[in-house]
Amino acid sequence: MSEAATLAAEDVTAAARPETLVTVRDLSKHFEIRGGLFGVSRIGAVRAVDGVTFDIRRGETLGLVGESGCGKTTLGKVILRLIPATKGEVLFGGKGLFEARGDDLKAIRRNMQIIFQDPYSSLNPRMTVGEIVGEGPLVHGLTNRRAREELVRELLARVGLNQSHIHRYPHEFSGGQRQRIGIARALALNPEFVVCDEPVSALDVSIQSQVLNLLDDLQEQLGLTYLFIAHNLAVVEHISDRVGVMYLGRLVELADVEELYERPRHPYTVALLSAVPEPDPRRRKRRLVLKGDVPSPANPPSGCRFHTRCWLRERLGNPETCVTQDPALADTGGEHFAACHFAGEVVAEAAELGAAGARE
Amino acid sequence: METNMQLQAPAPGVGTDRRAVVDEVDLIPVRTYWQLVRQRFMQHRLAVIALVLLAVLVILAWTIPTLTGELYQKTSLDLIDQGPSLSAPLGYDHLGENTFVRLMRATQTSLTIGFAAVLIIVGIGVTLGSIAGYVGGLVDNLLMRLVDVVLSIPSFFFIVALVAFWGGGNVWVIIFAIGLAGWTTAARLVRAEFLRLREVDFVQAARALGASPRRIVLRHMLPMALAPILVAATLGIADSVVLEAALSFLGFGISPPEASLGNMLNNAQRYFYREPILMFYPGIMLILVVLCASFLGDGLRDALDPRQRIER
Repeated sequence: MSEAATLAAEDVTAAARPETLVTVRDLSKHFEIRGGLFGVSRIGAVRAVDGVTFDIRRGETLGLVGESGCGKTTLGKVILRLIPATKGEVLFGGKGLFEARGDDLKAIRRNMQIIFQDPYSSLNPRMTVGEIVGEGPLVHGLTNRRAREELVRELLARVGLNQSHIHRYPHEFSGGQRQRIGIARALALNPEFVVCDEPVSALDVSIQSQVLNLLDDLQEQLGLTYLFIAHNLAVVEHISDRVGVMYLGRLVELADVEELYERPRHPYTVALLSAVPEPDPRRRKRRLVLKGDVPSPANPPSGCRFHTRCWLRERLGNPETCVTQDPALADTGGEHFAACHFAGEVVAEAAELGAAGARE
Repeated sequence: METNMQLQAPAPGVGTDRRAVVDEVDLIPVRTYWQLVRQRFMQHRLAVIALVLLAVLVILAWTIPTLTGELYQKTSLDLIDQGPSLSAPLGYDHLGENTFVRLMRATQTSLTIGFAAVLIIVGIGVTLGSIAGYVGGLVDNLLMRLVDVVLSIPSFFFIVALVAFWGGGNVWVIIFAIGLAGWTTAARLVRAEFLRLREVDFVQAARALGASPRRIVLRHMLPMALAPILVAATLGIADSVVLEAALSFLGFGISPPEASLGNMLNNAQRYFYREPILMFYPGIMLILVVLCASFLGDGLRDALDPRQRIER
């Protein structure tokens, strides 16, 4: 693709593009492996998140998929500054999150919340539902007990819980109900942005759809923006407007949901999508099974991180660039970003393999 | 509760309507965390017995010496080695002292040392342990190396050295010495718990809500670390009582005419051939106190463990 075309495309979309709420720039989180007598000498680092850049637009749901250990959860927590970043920056509504201190930080925190995966460990077992949901408002200055209780009751009703359960403890609830309590807690501060960290993965399938629909309804009513982290591709397709794919700490592809599911431009995404079970037994789909294991994030491969397992590289006769050059996440046209030197060839090659996309 | 009762009994045939299905949660009576703890503790029979026995000992050890005043150290040539009587249920010793009253006074001294030393142990241990666990990094490393240093000194000789340095015989010196030597286990337990809790989702949620570090530590972390702290404390009582006895037995601790379980044992040993029974009273009392404290610790550990859910 010519540079001029890329620039022109950017100009056109910049005007039409909705407002950006969260900007993530070159964000990295390296967990250092330390040793020595006082544990200060650096032995190495696990690159859980390594140079990730993307925007989240106001009102959208950005899905984030990838296999276990690819850094999705870490990314979500670094964006909320629950884990300090190693490098890079996060802008929330144009303001730098990592520079904020004291009251400024508290004000930003109020606008960004998180819903956790595990409905058991995410609620303090010593606090009542009322105390859990009301903690945010209390911390932010709603000290009037009666007003707080009223707010909590309102929130409980909103997430579909019985208001009379306000004085009960978390252990008295089922997983789905606990997740609703967690959602109520996140909404208590009326945030703009919510990171949903695999919010339905720990739930029973019959409860999953209820919680997903609840999240959908709440987004509509309250104009929320979601970063939806999951490993279930069907769930992500259902709820997302755009989807990002992560592999070994990197964002390898980012596009609108239909575009990504129909015309993946990264070989990893193709393999991932080919693993989605096909409910129709008459339709045949070739499953692309990747060789080997995910390399260790403490010692990632050179060049493109996926080159050790890439089926496309094999078909193309193992080009050198994959090993030597780290591909940047680039727009391959129509705001479809992919980090592959041969992104243009992915669709055709996948079709030839019979693995293209999840469906026609 | 009344509304729950109504919900418990839906009209016949209503169960088929999905919306009218009774919410399972409504069927469970509200139980606070501490009600659950009590319920679990009561299931631990040995611990309950230990608690009752310890309570009885505490009451006896504080009332009897108070009521009898200086009687525990009153010697009398006429009464030497006399057998049991109504005013002296355990008879008199080689100095004509009332053994029962003396035993109660000794129990009081030993328990005082046990409880007070544990306060110091828990105080230092929880403070340093929670700082190390919450702050982490270099602070954690420095504090844990300090723990290693204290642990590398044999604690009994450490206590003996401290007591010898500050002057023996003083109850508070002994308490302070035992406390100063014994806080390491508590500190390690609390640190480990804090390190774990720091990453737990509900603590992260509190941070995301903008809660202050103070609130996070006091409201979310310390209450969860209470179980290991309480267990360390009860077991610490047993340790401290034994340490005091050992110190006094060797002559570094409480010396006569003041009474402690240790120096009673020491005296009884010297007159073992004349009156062997004197050995048993402080010995059995020591065993009782230590066992009670240990069982109490066991029971508390089980009762406080959030993983031990009572099946409904």
